[in-house]
Amino acid sequence: MAAIPEGPRWATVAARSVPFAGVWWALAEGAPASWWVGVPAVVLAALASAALMPPVPIVWRELPGFVPFFLKRSVLGGLDVARRALHRRLPIAPAIIDYRFRLPPGLARVMLANTISLLPGTLGAGMEGDLLKVHVLDGRHDTAGEIAKVEAAIARVFGMTL
Amino acid sequence: METLYILLALFLLLNLGAGMGRVFRGPTAADRMAAAQLFGTTAVAMLLLLAEASGQGALRDVALVFALLAAVAAVAFVRRAWSESEGNHGDD
Amino acid sequence: MGMIDYLAALLLLTGAVFYLAGTAGLLRFPDVYTRLHALTKADNVGLGMVVAGLMLQAGSWSVAAKLLLTWWLVMLAGAAVAQLVATGALRRGVKPWRR
Repeated sequence: MAAIPEGPRWATVAARSVPFAGVWWALAEGAPASWWVGVPAVVLAALASAALMPPVPIVWRELPGFVPFFLKRSVLGGLDVARRALHRRLPIAPAIIDYRFRLPPGLARVMLANTISLLPGTLGAGMEGDLLKVHVLDGRHDTAGEIAKVEAAIARVFGMTL
Repeated sequence: METLYILLALFLLLNLGAGMGRVFRGPTAADRMAAAQLFGTTAVAMLLLLAEASGQGALRDVALVFALLAAVAAVAFVRRAWSESEGNHGDD
Repeated sequence: MGMIDYLAALLLLTGAVFYLAGTAGLLRFPDVYTRLHALTKADNVGLGMVVAGLMLQAGSWSVAAKLLLTWWLVMLAGAAVAQLVATGALRRGVKPWRR
């Protein structure tokens, strides 16, 4: 294992134990006896996670806003592509566009690139420097404006201003 | 409800069979991989339906493992097994 | 069958339609990029609907949570893999289809 600079960050370990415990509870379908294995597993997972990944500055109170924003758009994305796929004449006009990131390099950019693949008409197709390559299903739409909205939403979750 | 679960699982299986066409036709390795991805998502839904229909909760764990394996397989393909000369025979 | 059962059945059937659309796109769309669009987005919504339908029928909160966890994992992996395959194809010179 790689050297941990300043020992485990206990606040991070404690905070991450909560979602890991939730995952264990779901995996074991709530079986009470499973916690004999579950508690050590959760603690080890939290320790490993804190060692491998530094704390991410997520603004938790923004998440309840982001989830419906994302879910609504991903359902629209599914509907849009389903309509095109089942349409007799296959109405698509694909193009590749370069989108210039306003987010700083790091996890937030990766999240944007992955997120847009589930949203209407966009598919992440690589990052080069400050550019995100996006394959769009229909080049006639204002895709850059849509991506900018998603980017702004992700920036709020990470507590950044663009 | 059980009958509906089974019928839907069967429908998804047929859907998967149709998707096999893409695995055979390609034409690029990436197309085949995309079809393999379909196998992952479809198998997960089928297993979840069958778990509910049969009362075998363990099938939900199998679904979870399928979800993980599909992702690992795809990453392994992109990072290791994909030849660098796709473009030469990649077009239709 | 009660109200909840009908709602669950409706969600499950809608999910199946999305799976059908995903496969239709996989077979009908002209290149790997457009096929990835169809597969990733339609199957994600399809599984979401199936999971939502099954959650209504789940006997316990923990089982419902496990269904949600499974969907979340598939969604995360699907989005990442679609991006990875598209990036790889573009880098290897697989030309996007144009009208």
